[in-house]
Amino acid sequence: MKRLGLVLTLVSAILIMATTYLAIFYAPLPGTSVKSIDEVLPSIEGTTVKVSGFVTNFTVHLPDALDVPTRYTFSLADFEDYARYLAATEAGNLSEQWWTIRPIDVGYSMGGWLPSGLNFTIHDCSNISVTADVVLRVIGPNSAVTGCSLAIVENVEIGPQGGFSTMTAPIAQKIFYFHMPSAWVSYVAFFLTLVGSVLYLRSRNARYDRLAMASAELGVLFATIAIATGPIWAKEEWGVYWRWDDTKLVTTFVMWLVYVGYLSLRAAISEPGTRNRVSAVYGIVGFVTMPMSLLSSRIAPLLRSSHPEVIASSSGSLSAEAGIAVGVAVVAFTVLFAAMLIKRVEVAEAEDELEELKREIGGE
Amino acid sequence: MSDSWTALYAAYSIVWLGVFAYLSYLFLRQRRISKDISSLKEEVARRVKPGN
Repeated sequence: MKRLGLVLTLVSAILIMATTYLAIFYAPLPGTSVKSIDEVLPSIEGTTVKVSGFVTNFTVHLPDALDVPTRYTFSLADFEDYARYLAATEAGNLSEQWWTIRPIDVGYSMGGWLPSGLNFTIHDCSNISVTADVVLRVIGPNSAVTGCSLAIVENVEIGPQGGFSTMTAPIAQKIFYFHMPSAWVSYVAFFLTLVGSVLYLRSRNARYDRLAMASAELGVLFATIAIATGPIWAKEEWGVYWRWDDTKLVTTFVMWLVYVGYLSLRAAISEPGTRNRVSAVYGIVGFVTMPMSLLSSRIAPLLRSSHPEVIASSSGSLSAEAGIAVGVAVVAFTVLFAAMLIKRVEVAEAEDELEELKREIGGE
Repeated sequence: MSDSWTALYAAYSIVWLGVFAYLSYLFLRQRRISKDISSLKEEVARRVKPGN
């Protein structure tokens, strides 16, 4: 078992290094076939991206020093359309309506809180930073929307008549290749905690308690990694680190808290029999948070969630290369988890032996 | 774009540091427990020796 653990550790280290390489150099930027933003910039300079919709909370950042001339024009839609949009939102029939966009040219004006359709004439993407909450419909050819739109449109909600969803931070998106497998492994770990807890209650065999405890500890570790890396990506993608109105984020955080509670509970009870029994019951009850987190964005589509689905729908948007990178990453993290689980169980056995020896000496 | 690279490196660092920190903790803990076990075993052996 010890040798198996070492072999798995070695294999997972190699696979994780491979994942790092694949994520950075092999997987293309989301929504494109290119692997570096540098490939995109020359091809889109001078193109016009046309997008219609309403924009709220719209800000544009222009750097002080640009190394190339940059010019933008914006067409803002009529306020009446926005009033109708708000009314439709309030009435709850947003998906049944659409609007006529009546553009008003405002030249270089920007900022404020305005409904709008946008026309960007792009001369250089590298120094532009635009953030907006948008309900969008693409008017222009899709080809014009790739690349630079990744950098200029944020917080996209799909419009009622089609639309598009895109990544605003294509580089930071590569965090996905570590973020998702970490979350996946934490789900597997918490499932094993459930299995170990059930088996312990049925057999009272301490080996199953050790499995449950080791899985929970590793689950918390990987969930912590997922929860720590997610906000870094979210900041780039959404402009904020965390959204308390996002079901996926909140249910995952609750799941993490529940399993931190599991470990705290174990630490608080010193008598082994009571500790194992109570924590097994807790491990079974606490498991309800795992499917809540895993499936939150699928089983609660009416609730707000900007988080991508963990289990993709049949028309997954990953390219073949990205799929390979994700596949390798998931295998790497699963193997790493197995190696760490073997090691943690080994340590737990030693802990139990030590406890037993202490009792033996103390009882004399 | 440079900010995105910073974010990417920060996230990857968290992953690597998290995993290595935990593995180091496990190995150190195991070493300490093994040491405690062997000293306790010696203690037990000493106590059960005839004449003690």
